[in-house]
Amino acid sequence: MYRNKYRLIVPFLIPSLLLYVTFVLYPYGRAMYISLTQWRGLSKPPVFIGLENFSKMLGDSNFWNALGNNAFYIITLPLFTIGLALFFAFVLTQGARFARFYRITFFFPQVMSMVAIGVLWSFVYHPTIGFLNSFLKLVGMSDPPVWLGNPDYVLSALSGVAVWQAVGFFMVLFIAAMESIPATYYEAAMIDGATQWNIFWNITIPLIWGTVQTALIFIMIEATSMFTITQTMTEGGPSRGSEVLSTYLYHEAFINSNFGYGTAIAVALFFLTLLISVILTRLLRRESLEF
Amino acid sequence: MSSVTFEHVYKRFGDVVAVNDLSIEVEDKEFLVFVGPSGCGKTTSLRLLAGLEEISDGQILIGDRIVNDVPPKDRDIAMVFQSYALYPHMSVYDNMAFGLKLRKTPKSQIDERVKVAAGLLGIEQLLDRKPKQLSGGQRQRVAVGRAIVREPAVFLFDEPLSNLDAKLRVETRANISKLHKRLATTFIYVTHDQVEAMTMASRIAVMKDGILQQIDSPQDLYDNPANVFVGGFIGSPSMNFFDATLVESDGKLEINTGGFRLEVPAEKAKEWRAFAGKPVIFGIRPEDIHAKQFAPPNILESDMDAKVDVTELMGNEIFLYLMSKDNKQFIARVDPRVRVSNDDKIDLAVNMANAHIFDPKTETSLA
Repeated sequence: MYRNKYRLIVPFLIPSLLLYVTFVLYPYGRAMYISLTQWRGLSKPPVFIGLENFSKMLGDSNFWNALGNNAFYIITLPLFTIGLALFFAFVLTQGARFARFYRITFFFPQVMSMVAIGVLWSFVYHPTIGFLNSFLKLVGMSDPPVWLGNPDYVLSALSGVAVWQAVGFFMVLFIAAMESIPATYYEAAMIDGATQWNIFWNITIPLIWGTVQTALIFIMIEATSMFTITQTMTEGGPSRGSEVLSTYLYHEAFINSNFGYGTAIAVALFFLTLLISVILTRLLRRESLEF
Repeated sequence: MSSVTFEHVYKRFGDVVAVNDLSIEVEDKEFLVFVGPSGCGKTTSLRLLAGLEEISDGQILIGDRIVNDVPPKDRDIAMVFQSYALYPHMSVYDNMAFGLKLRKTPKSQIDERVKVAAGLLGIEQLLDRKPKQLSGGQRQRVAVGRAIVREPAVFLFDEPLSNLDAKLRVETRANISKLHKRLATTFIYVTHDQVEAMTMASRIAVMKDGILQQIDSPQDLYDNPANVFVGGFIGSPSMNFFDATLVESDGKLEINTGGFRLEVPAEKAKEWRAFAGKPVIFGIRPEDIHAKQFAPPNILESDMDAKVDVTELMGNEIFLYLMSKDNKQFIARVDPRVRVSNDDKIDLAVNMANAHIFDPKTETSLA
C-alpha cells in the first residue's frame, strides 16, 4: 500500500525538485563559491582568493554608503508603507463611502511594471516639466528642489515611489485580515467605551498582528533591495547619493566586470536580508490567536 | 439601576421591518426576557437598546434619558454576547479591565472591581489565562464578569447560554438568576429558548415577525396566552390545537372537532357560551390531558378516547402521541403508571379548566 503511494508521489516530486536544484540551489552554491574568487567574467576561470573580497568590502566606502542608503529605506519603507496601508485598510473597512473605488485605485500601482513606474515617476519628479514641481510652483514655491538631482532629497523621493507602489498591496492584505475579525469584538469594544483610535490600536492591530508581521518582512526585503526603482530612475546617482547594495553590486559585476567582488556583495546582502528577517520574526513574535 | 422604555420603536432593513411598533416599559431592577423564534426581532430590539443599530422610528429611553442618538459607550449599559466576544489577545483580567481602563478608572479601583467580580463568579484562578485556554462555561462567566465590573445601569444578554451544553445551561441559568437578585439591576435578556425565559424572567416579551405578541409574567403567559402563537411557543411539548365548533344542544355546550367531542363543564360554559355555534380553534396543553384512571381530583373533567400512535417514556411521565378519529395527531403527558402499547385505545380525562379557545381568523384568544 505504502510502496504504491510513493510510486505515485515520487514522479510528481522529481520534476520540481530538479528545477529547484538547477535554478535555485545550484546558483546559490555557485554564487557562494564565486564570492570567494577573483573573476572578470568571461575570460579566465575564477581564481580562488578566500575571504579577500569580504575584507575589501569592509574597507570600501562605497559599500558602506550603499548600505547606509539601504538602512534609510529599511527605516522609512516599513514605517510609511505599513502605516499608510493600515490606516487606509482600517478606514475602508469601517464602511467609508466609495470603499470599492478606493480599494481598486490604491491597488492599481501593484499591477503596473516597476520599470514603467520608475519612468512615470521620473517625469513626476522632473525639475522643469514635472507634475510635482509644477504643482509646487502653482502653490507659490518659487524654487522647488531638483528631487532626483540632489543627494539630500533623492532617497526621500525614491522611497516615496516605493511607498506609493507598495501601499495598495499591503492595504488589500490588511483589509482581508481585518474583514476576518468578527464584528462582535468591535461591538463589545464600543460598548466598553472604546474610541475608533482605541479600537484600532487595542483590537484591530493585535488581531491582525500575524499579517502585519508578514507584511513587515516583505517590505523589509524590498527595502534591502530597491533595485528596479533605483536603476530606472537614478542608476544610483547623483554621485552615489541613491546607490544601494543591489545597484552597487550590479555595477561592480556587469559594468566593471568585477564578478567576484559583485557576487561577494550579493552574498553579504543575502545574509543581511536573512539576518533582518530572523530578527524581525523573533522581535514581532506573539502567540497565535483564535477567533 | 434604571428603567428602560421602548416607545413605538421601528427598525427597518430596506423593505424588511425587523422591529414593528415595539412599546415596552421595563421597570427598574426587572428581569425582562425577549423570546421568540429566530428572525422575530428580539436580538435587533436588544441591539437597538445597546446602540449597535440605529432606530428607524420611535424612541428608546434609559431612565428618563432619550438615548436614540447616544453612542453605546455613553448609554451606561453592558452586554454579554452570544459568542462572548472575549478579546483573544488579552488575559481574562485585561478583558474584564478593558472597559474600566478606557474610562480612566484608577488602577487600584480597577483591580478591586475585577477581583470582586471574579470572586462572585468563581473565576479568580483564571485571571491570568487567555480566552482560548478556557472552557465554554468559563468563557461565559468571564463575559458576564466583564459586564459586572462596569457596574452598568442595565445588563443586556444576547443568548448567552446557547453555546453551552445542556447540563451547564441549567446550572448557569440558576447562576444568572442569583446574580440578578444580588446585583439588583435591570436585566434584559434575549433567548429563543422558552425554558430559559420561563425560569428566569420576571416578565417575558414574546415576539414574532418583529411584532410584540404578549408581555406578561411567566405564569400569566402560560395560563392565558393571548393568541395561538404564544400558546404554542410557551410550554413543551406545545399546546395541541384543533379546528372545532362550539355546539349548544339541550342547554349543554360541546366542543366538536370532527374527531372527538368534549362536553364543556358548566363553569367554563359561562365564559364560552357567547361563542356558541361559531367555529373556534380549541387549544389544550398536553399536561391537561390525563389518562382517565390516573386523572387527578378536582379538575373540570371532560372525557374522550383516542388511539395511541407512539409512546415516549420520560421516566417521571409518558408522552403519548395520540390519534383522534379524524386522524389528527395530538400529545398528552400522562402518569408513568399508564400501560399502553401502540394502537391501543385509551380513555382520557381532559381538564377543561385550562382549555382555551381562539378566533380562527385572528388567532387571538376568545376566553
